[in-house]
Amino acid sequence: MGTRRLSAADRIYSSLNYTVLIIFCLTALYPFIYFLALSFNDGYDAMKGGIYLYPRVFTLENYSKAFNNPQILNAFWISISRTVIVTLCSVMLTSMLAYGLSRKGLPGRKYIVFFFFFTTLFSGGLIPTFILYRQIHIIDTYWVLVLPVLYDFFNAIVMKTFFDGIPPSLSESARIDGASEMQVFARIILPLSMPVLATIALFVGVGVWNDWFTGQFFISKESLQPAATFLNKMISEASFQTMTGSGSSGSGIQNMSQSQMELRGVTPEALRMTFVIIITTPILCVYPFLQRFFVKGVLVGSLKE
Amino acid sequence: MIVNEAKIEAIPIPEKKTKSDVWAKVWRFRHAYLFMLPAVIWYLVFSYYPMYGVLIAFKDFKYNLGILGSPWEGLRFFKQFLNDSNFYSVLKNTLSISGLKLLFGFPAPLILALMLNAVMRSKVKRIFQTISYLPHFVSWVVVVTLMQKILSPNVGLVNDIREKMGLDAIFFMGLPKLFYPLVISSDIWKGIGWGSIIYLAALTNIDPHLYEAAEMDGAGRWSKLFKITLPTLVPTIGILLIFSLSGILNAGFDQIWLMQTPATLSVSEILDTYVLKTGIQQGQFAYSTAIGLFKSAISLVLIITVNKVAKKVSDVSLW
Repeated sequence: MGTRRLSAADRIYSSLNYTVLIIFCLTALYPFIYFLALSFNDGYDAMKGGIYLYPRVFTLENYSKAFNNPQILNAFWISISRTVIVTLCSVMLTSMLAYGLSRKGLPGRKYIVFFFFFTTLFSGGLIPTFILYRQIHIIDTYWVLVLPVLYDFFNAIVMKTFFDGIPPSLSESARIDGASEMQVFARIILPLSMPVLATIALFVGVGVWNDWFTGQFFISKESLQPAATFLNKMISEASFQTMTGSGSSGSGIQNMSQSQMELRGVTPEALRMTFVIIITTPILCVYPFLQRFFVKGVLVGSLKE
Repeated sequence: MIVNEAKIEAIPIPEKKTKSDVWAKVWRFRHAYLFMLPAVIWYLVFSYYPMYGVLIAFKDFKYNLGILGSPWEGLRFFKQFLNDSNFYSVLKNTLSISGLKLLFGFPAPLILALMLNAVMRSKVKRIFQTISYLPHFVSWVVVVTLMQKILSPNVGLVNDIREKMGLDAIFFMGLPKLFYPLVISSDIWKGIGWGSIIYLAALTNIDPHLYEAAEMDGAGRWSKLFKITLPTLVPTIGILLIFSLSGILNAGFDQIWLMQTPATLSVSEILDTYVLKTGIQQGQFAYSTAIGLFKSAISLVLIITVNKVAKKVSDVSLW
């Protein structure tokens, strides 16, 4: 068997492989390109169809309407503030938990781990959780957006695994030098753990940013609804319109809250496309830069479901 | 090796010590306990209290009477759903969707990982990977919005193409027979890149010398794949497979809830969506909790069994 024939076969396989991968990547990207084009296109013109890659009648009107709409702005404000608060608190609290669990020789650790781990295997379910929220009066308050998502034990395991990899001699020598446990944690463990902290911050942040459920079922005040829930309401309105066949432009949003929504010159659908781009952009700007960090986190996290 | 990382090893507590020794040790670790205290409180409130709350599945729950004060109803609500014909169709849908996801969705990331692994230029490979992760990071709300527009009967991409080909426009999201194909394909679209990470990590652990030695012996592309690459991945594949089996009652709440339309309810109602509808929307708290408990209990049994089997067969386990 000559090496030459092998390399020719190799080249065929390789180019085939590249072709399939490129098609795959286009499939992953294309829906966003489609929406990007539609979001920069005049909404009424878009109704004629034929916009697939780039805008035909370019306009910034959709974005300017979106960014000047008090309801949309408020939804994003809720999402942004919630994401920042939850991410900071969660990373902080989770790292404390993980540090506690990673202490070698901690009396009763086996039982403590079981206490947390069991909650990942069994849960009370939706209704008991709902009743709890009502009993502690967090339904329809900002608290319900923050408190229930502060901990995820899998994140704690990811962090603990990372902490376990830090040479114990570092913290031991600091303790001998008289450092308190808080100092060891804040000055030695945390600074060495930036990769895992960034990973968990990404996981938590994305999860909170994308969470539409809490806003949908535990919040009825419009002023507290996060962006993802807002989008969901936009699409359910739209699909209802499609279902009943009442108009192609999905005038539901206009009916929904015409008083607050100044939609002149912009179709609800164009606004929806724009909303999707706006809500996706922050994620798009963050995750590629954390890619090298999160791979390790996934190894543990993928056993989640 | 994945599993080793996930394994929560418990360091045995040295026994046979006097009481004061133990307390001295506990005192020495007081800061560690203090660090975990907020978590303990949080888990007691947000996880354990709802577990106690499942009692309402056996009660005629009234808000003013509280969980304990409400009168017992025994197994009435369990009997009710076992006699409910809706329940069986919901169970069937749940199992169909997760079964199909397993069948088609499970191998997809593996294939992608093998393809990515064949890309020699690391920069190109990274770009492919980055793009493949993108759908994982967007919300299901966004994914469903994308689908609704692309498949829309009014000026949607796919129907535009169909019309150009002389076919009639279809309301894709409203056809029961298309529901499963759409669920499976959007699930793969969203999860394939992310799912491939774990295989890629396992692949980087393969010693390159193995391939070199195989090449010296005249092994071709396919024999290297079947004799070296795949056998290395078998433990990873096995573990992921059995653990996804234990999640068989989770058909994917977010996705299904957002994708279902009244027209597709006969095939799209799953346990999780049914629990939500009967519970929060119709206010049948006890009935809904009973179904939820049925689901969590079976899932718990499944994961414990699966873990035991995994331990026996492959020496790797979650705990």
